[in-house]
Amino acid sequence: MMGLIRKAWGLVVWIWSTASRPARHLSIGFLALGGFFAGVMFWGGFNTALEATNTEAFCISCHEMENNVFQELKTTVHYSNRSGVRASCPDCHVPHDWTDKIARKMQASKEVWGTLFGTIDTREKFLANRRKLAGHEWERLKANNSLECRNCHSPEGMDITVQSVRASTAHQTYLFTGEKTCIDCHKGIAHELPDMTGVPGWQ
Amino acid sequence: MRISSFCAVIAAVGVLLAGGASLSEELITLRNGLSIDQEAAAPPLPKVENHDKRRVRNFAEQPPTIPHTIRGYEVTRNANKCLSCHSRIQTGESQAPMVSVTHFMDRDNQVLATVSPRRYFCNQCHVVQEDVKPLVNNDFVDVELMLRNSEAPQ
Amino acid sequence: MKLTRRDYIKANAVAVAAGAAGLGKEAEAANLVTDRSRTNLTWSKAACRFCGTGCSVMVGTKDGKVVASHGDVKAEVNRGLNCVKGYFLSKILYGEDRLKTPLLRMKDGQYDKNGDFAPVSWETAFDVMAEKFKEAIRKNGPTAIGMFGSGQWTVWEGYAASKLMKAGFGSNNIEPNARHCMASAVAGFMRTFGIDEPMGCYDDIEATDAFVLWGSNMAEMHPILWTRLTDRRLSAPDTRVAVLSTYEHRCFDLADIPMVFTPQTDLAILNFIANYIIQNDRVNWDFVDQHVNFRRGNTDIGYGLRPEHPLEQKAANADKAGGSQEMTFEEFREFVAEYSLEKVSELSGVPEQQLVELAELYADPDRKVVSFWTMGFNQHTRGVWCNNLIYNIHLLVGKIATPGNSPFSLTGQPSACGTAREVGTFSHRLPADMVVTNPKHRAFAEKVWNIPAGVIPPKPGFHAAQHNRMLKDGKINAYWVQCNNNMQAAANLNEETWPGYRNPEAFIVVSDPYPTVTAGAADLILPTAMWVEKEGAYGNAERRTQFWHQLVKAPGESRSDLWQLVEFSKRFTTDEVWPKEVLSANPAFKGKTLYEVLFRNGSVDRFPLSETSPDYDNDESADFGFYLQKGLFEEYAIFGRDHGHDLAPFERYHEERGLRWPVVDGKETRWRFREGSDPYVGKGKGYEFYGKPDGRAVIFALPYEPPAESPDEEYDLWLCTGRVLEHWHSGSMTQRVPELYKSFPDAVVYMHPKDAESRGLRRGQEIRVVSRRGEIVSRVETRGRNKPPEGLVYVPWFDASQLINKVTLDATDPISKQTDYKKCAVKIVATGRA
Repeated sequence: MMGLIRKAWGLVVWIWSTASRPARHLSIGFLALGGFFAGVMFWGGFNTALEATNTEAFCISCHEMENNVFQELKTTVHYSNRSGVRASCPDCHVPHDWTDKIARKMQASKEVWGTLFGTIDTREKFLANRRKLAGHEWERLKANNSLECRNCHSPEGMDITVQSVRASTAHQTYLFTGEKTCIDCHKGIAHELPDMTGVPGWQ
Repeated sequence: MRISSFCAVIAAVGVLLAGGASLSEELITLRNGLSIDQEAAAPPLPKVENHDKRRVRNFAEQPPTIPHTIRGYEVTRNANKCLSCHSRIQTGESQAPMVSVTHFMDRDNQVLATVSPRRYFCNQCHVVQEDVKPLVNNDFVDVELMLRNSEAPQ
Repeated sequence: MKLTRRDYIKANAVAVAAGAAGLGKEAEAANLVTDRSRTNLTWSKAACRFCGTGCSVMVGTKDGKVVASHGDVKAEVNRGLNCVKGYFLSKILYGEDRLKTPLLRMKDGQYDKNGDFAPVSWETAFDVMAEKFKEAIRKNGPTAIGMFGSGQWTVWEGYAASKLMKAGFGSNNIEPNARHCMASAVAGFMRTFGIDEPMGCYDDIEATDAFVLWGSNMAEMHPILWTRLTDRRLSAPDTRVAVLSTYEHRCFDLADIPMVFTPQTDLAILNFIANYIIQNDRVNWDFVDQHVNFRRGNTDIGYGLRPEHPLEQKAANADKAGGSQEMTFEEFREFVAEYSLEKVSELSGVPEQQLVELAELYADPDRKVVSFWTMGFNQHTRGVWCNNLIYNIHLLVGKIATPGNSPFSLTGQPSACGTAREVGTFSHRLPADMVVTNPKHRAFAEKVWNIPAGVIPPKPGFHAAQHNRMLKDGKINAYWVQCNNNMQAAANLNEETWPGYRNPEAFIVVSDPYPTVTAGAADLILPTAMWVEKEGAYGNAERRTQFWHQLVKAPGESRSDLWQLVEFSKRFTTDEVWPKEVLSANPAFKGKTLYEVLFRNGSVDRFPLSETSPDYDNDESADFGFYLQKGLFEEYAIFGRDHGHDLAPFERYHEERGLRWPVVDGKETRWRFREGSDPYVGKGKGYEFYGKPDGRAVIFALPYEPPAESPDEEYDLWLCTGRVLEHWHSGSMTQRVPELYKSFPDAVVYMHPKDAESRGLRRGQEIRVVSRRGEIVSRVETRGRNKPPEGLVYVPWFDASQLINKVTLDATDPISKQTDYKKCAVKIVATGRA
């Protein structure tokens, strides 16, 4: 173990010492161009990696996700519906806007930690933490005015004449007026609910 | 009236007998005309009636049927989705019908502060209606219509 | 001329239209009829027609029609509540296709097994029927006739049927459909306690701290008991609910300890709990030392299949399944020691932590616990063992027969207890837990019935599953089915039931209010009065006997089962049915009709018509000229009085919302076997299990044994069958109530989404459910109320168009002879149709 770290450190030192030396044989133009392409490649790689972590397949590669939330999602309208349009995990749980996305990804490092240390590695542990975990998502969506919902469901795009009467009434009364945001009413639409004691609207 | 209905039965039987008519096993059972040892195609899974219109109850004490879909509506120890619209304090916002006052009573008819837990699982009495035609009609008589349609006593 | 179903309905409708004659005029100007003389409804109590919970309902009638119903607020059982089926009770009488006249299969004006149904008079119907029954007895003796009745018979119907068969025809071939439903519970009670039915009552629900559901989906099958359980759990937050099942169902919505186990491993879990209690030194020695014996039951007892089946050939003790030998506690301790936490968790698939939590509910001396079970235990090839093993646990910790401590077997039918079990309408039973194999019991019955010695045969008749096998084999030639739908309910329809009913050597009579598939398979259909169209009595799962009056007339020419049984008895004389030697020894009985011997016998007919209620009709009594129901009830009550089964005087039940037997000195009994609450327990005894000669209950050593059929490479899924909340049993009543039909119209196959996916199936797709015995066509359902684990599918059996019993296996518990409807192997394949 120690040997491995020493070797890796050696590599880092070599790269840095090489990279920090001024170029003796290369033109400034070549360097600029080369740097540009290297940058593109690095950026592309980063984004590819980022996108790879932004798929359902990646999310459910952890058994906590596969066995709990994903199985619950499967029976809901966000997974199985008339037209086959389907929301995958990141559609709802990862912001599409770049800065928010990075911020969320950094938060997600905590989930990696959770996986490594088995915070929710049994159904019982998961259920015990569900209120807290769901609470995070409700807060986030409340704070960003249900942004991830709105990425697909725009109020302007809703044809209320094809909605059921009570949906149309509720949307006209609360959504279009801005009085409420999606998550205020639509909790537990993709996963089972935690203990809702004390949650507004669930009296 | 009793005599006339008795006659009608005899008449009906008479009609059947006179024609030498007979009914096969396939026709009398609820198997869509198939014999017991045959297998029919299975009807498609129906859709839930989702029109949000109240239905007339058969009699006053009948629990109303649910006029909308309840797909994914959770009623568990954790949460009761039905009450998130139908509970007393939610009805202002939801404009849904409030659960009846009987639902606040315990076994001894004492009214509690909230809905009695004996009524917690709504679907034990309230059910959705799938969009299908009844297998057999039912001749149950609505007592109020019966009263209105019958002669007033002399 | 062949009629269509439409013509049949239309012919029926003529009567209905006439019944509503004189319509049309707007009576009052206001849009509300207010005249009290017209708006008054007549309200009367009745026991619910459906499950064994035994709710009381108030039934509103007007002008000869049932027009409303609601839960009876005065009834202890349900205190004003009903389930959705109960609320729609008032419509079950009025399905448009009610049978109103006898129908006989005929060709060219004659009975013909291959003919179509034609209306006949009762006279003709009974003529043909009597001839067929006489012919069968003449040719092959009294074992060639049979009757299949019901836990839905009223108490007196069951009693009259049992008396007609055993004391009249001299045949023990009478069975109730309760054999499919309760037989394992009965055998469990008899083995452990020596007396049938629960020691506790529903009051246990409000008194307990924990509920354990073993194979009981109470949320759907006993909804009102579930409301009481929910009430207790949610209003007393420290209460715990553990649910065990082979798939997730609605009870899991309330479960604190939800457990899905591999089918059949409940046996191992039960033994683990006993082991846990012993290993952790939680045995209640005071109780065990004074009130318990230990016995080792026979093992390797087979699966109740036909004797030539390889599984029966292989079983060492198939012929002595119920046998047992004495053992010591030490030996019992060693016996259960192998059921370790690790081993049982591995075998059952239930996590260790949950098994321990479950065991603690029983072991914790500070916690009261009620165990409930229904078909998960009883419909099990080791159902009697399951019953014995749960009693083991309650007995080891002494949590029994006190408020809140109760092993509680629930019943599926409204009078499985009151009629099938207490009256004893089984092939081996007589009233009040007596059996035909016991000469003293036979002599007692013959004395009460005032018939000569030797009329009741000492050999038990065929049991339920054998009835269909014997019809097929030509051993039963005349058969009467009342108050049940066994073509739909019996397992293995293709190989046994259908060929049995359609065997040219068999004449099948079916009495029913509606044209069920069983009626369709019959040769003669008798139209039958139902529920409040007759005076009735039911006994529920907590020993509560409840009465109701006749509230309306039955339509057309339909008659109650009771009327049919008594009227039919007029067509036989003793000379035609009793053994010659019995008659020559008792010449006074010669030439008498069975009606005279059984019903006009000075006992059944001793209450005059004037004792019937002036406020209600009683069509049968009016017809026969005496208070028939009271006479039958009071004669029947002789069997149980002073034998631990005391019933109150007849009239009292018309006043009360039921009473729990034994009713001694006018008081009902809530907890049996315990001093102070059960008058039969001797002073200073504390507890006394007086069904056993030494007053001690038995703890049985019984192992885990595998099921009769398990999934394999070809038939790769478990099939579990059962009910749904909205339909009762085969749906013959509830499918005719439009609101109930529309709430759950057709059967579906509940399966795990991954099982669907791996077979290339999707929700809603048409599929075939195929076993070695048959198949049905249905649709995939991957969501909704039932969530099976991977490897198991659940199919309800209420749908006449999807007869799942074409697929099931007729393996039974070898002791109780009850069929296992919960386990067989199937495969699911797409039909390829859209």
